[in-house]
Amino acid sequence: MSLLIAAFGFGLVSMSVIALAAVGFTMQFGITNMINLAYYLNKAGISIWIAMLGGAAFGAVFSFLINRFVYAPFQRKGTALLGMVIVSLAISLMISNAMLPIVGYFSVSYRERFSHLLHVGALALTVNQIAIIVLAMGVMLAVHGLLRYTRLGKAMRATAANPTLARNCGIPTQRVIDVVWLITGGLCGLAGVVAALDSDSFMIASGAGFLITALAAAVLGGAGQPYGAMIGAVVIGLVTELSAAVWAPDYKQVVAFGILVLVMVLRPQGLLAKRGALAAAG
Amino acid sequence: MLVNRATANGRPAPALRAEGVTSGYGGVPVVRDVSIAVGPGEIVAIIGPNGAGKSTLLKTLVGILRVNSGRVFVGSEDVTNHAPEDLARRGVGYVPQVNDIFEPLSVQENLEMGGYLLPESKLPERVEEVTRVFPALAPMLKRRADKLSGGERKMLAIARVLMLDPAVLILDEPTANLSPKLADSLLRDHVQRLAGLNKAVLLVEQRARAALQVASWTTVLVSGTTRLEGRPGELLDRQDFEELFLGAGTTSPAPTLPSPNGGAEDPEVEKG
Repeated sequence: MSLLIAAFGFGLVSMSVIALAAVGFTMQFGITNMINLAYYLNKAGISIWIAMLGGAAFGAVFSFLINRFVYAPFQRKGTALLGMVIVSLAISLMISNAMLPIVGYFSVSYRERFSHLLHVGALALTVNQIAIIVLAMGVMLAVHGLLRYTRLGKAMRATAANPTLARNCGIPTQRVIDVVWLITGGLCGLAGVVAALDSDSFMIASGAGFLITALAAAVLGGAGQPYGAMIGAVVIGLVTELSAAVWAPDYKQVVAFGILVLVMVLRPQGLLAKRGALAAAG
Repeated sequence: MLVNRATANGRPAPALRAEGVTSGYGGVPVVRDVSIAVGPGEIVAIIGPNGAGKSTLLKTLVGILRVNSGRVFVGSEDVTNHAPEDLARRGVGYVPQVNDIFEPLSVQENLEMGGYLLPESKLPERVEEVTRVFPALAPMLKRRADKLSGGERKMLAIARVLMLDPAVLILDEPTANLSPKLADSLLRDHVQRLAGLNKAVLLVEQRARAALQVASWTTVLVSGTTRLEGRPGELLDRQDFEELFLGAGTTSPAPTLPSPNGGAEDPEVEKG
C-alpha cells in the first residue's frame, strides 16, 4: 500500500509537468521544443526558479516568432493540417540540431536537483517536486481564470469557435492569435524547465519523449480542449507511475499509451472535446 | 449613379451601397456586376433561387470575400476590400445564415463578444439594453448558446450584432430552419422593428413572399446578376415573378426582363 501511495506522489509530479506542456500544446495545436533553454541561466549561477521565468519568456517570444515567420505564412498559403504537422516537426528538428553544437550531446542536470525530502505518511516528495505541483496547479488556475473571466480569454474562445464571426464582431483575431502563441510558448518553455528539473539529468534529445507524452495527454483530453489536457495529464501522469509500482517500471509507458489507444477507439474526439474545443473552456 | 437613382426613387441616401460588384471564390466569379443600396429605415430584401449568389454578395459586402471589381461604400467612405473588423467598427453588423453564434460560449458571453469594440465598463449596460429588445434572452444569459432553440438562437445572433448599435444590419436568411410562425414573427416583430429604429436592413430570404411583405425595396438575383429590382408591390404584380424566383431563365437571358441595373427605370417595375 505504501508503494502505491509513493507512486501516487510521483504521479502527481508527473501529471503536473505533463499538464503544463499539454495545455500549451492543446491551446495552439503546435509543437515547440523549448526544453533545456533555461539551463544556461541556471549554469550562470541564477536560481532555477528565476531561470524558469527566463525559460518561459524565451519560450513565449520564440514561439511567437516561429508562428509569425514560419507557420503563419504557410497557413496563409492554405497548407493543410498534415502539412503543418510536417512543418512543425521540421522546425523542431532544426532547433534541436542547431543547438547541438552549442550544448553538446551529453547529459546535464540542474544545480537545485537535490532538495529536502518531505514525508506525509507513505508519501515522500522533495521540496522541488511539491513546488512543481503547486506551480502547475497555479498555472492551471490562471489559464482557467484567463479563459473564463477575462475579455481576452473570451475573445480567444470566440476566435477558436468561429474565427470569421469573431472578425465580424470586430475582434482583432490576429492579435488574439499572437497572444495565444506567446502564452502557449511560455507554457512550453516553463514545462521544459520543470520537466528537466524533475529528471535526474537531461539532454538535447530529452524533449522528444516528453513531447510525445504531452501530446498524448492533449489528444487524450480532446484536441484543443485545455480542461481535457489537464485531465489527460492526470490520467497519463498517475497511470504511468501507479502501473510502474504495481506492475513493472519498464511498462509504465505501455500502460499509459494503451489507455490512450483505448480512449481513441471508444471516443475518437478525446475525453472532453466535441465541437468548439478551446472555445468550450469555462 | 446609384445614389442619384435611389434619391430619385424617393429612397433615403444609402448607408451602404455596392457599385458593380463582382466577386466569388478562388477567382471564379459568383456575383457579377451587382449594384445595391440600403438606406436608414429601409429593409432591402435580396431574393432569388438557390445558387443565385445572394449569400456570396453579403459575404463580399462585409469583407469576408474579396471584391474582384466594383466598389463598396459605407456612407461616403470607400470600404472596398476592407477587413471585416474594420467594417464592424464602421457600423456594419452581419448575421450569417449558419455559424451565426459562438456555440460553446454562454448567451451573455456571445453578447459581450458582439460588443467587443465597446469599452468594457459599458458592456453590462449594453447587454441590459439589448435584452430589453429581445426579452426572451434575459432569463437565459448563463445558458450555453448551443443549448438554445432555433428561434432563440437567431434572436441571440441578431442581439449580438445589435450590441454595437450598427447603422447597417445584414441578415442572411434569418428565418432558415424556423417554423413558418416563428419566421413570420421574426420578420414582423423584430426585423421590421429594427428598420423602425432607423437601421438600414439588408435581408437575404428564401421565403420570398414573407420577405416582400416586410421589405421596402427588393432585388432579385439570378445566376449572380440582378434580374429585377423595385418596390415589393411592383414585383409581386409581375406575371413572371414566380417563374423567375423559382429559377426559370437561369440558363439563358430573359429578353422580356429588365436589364440587370435598369430595374428602377423599367416602366413595368415603376408603375406598380
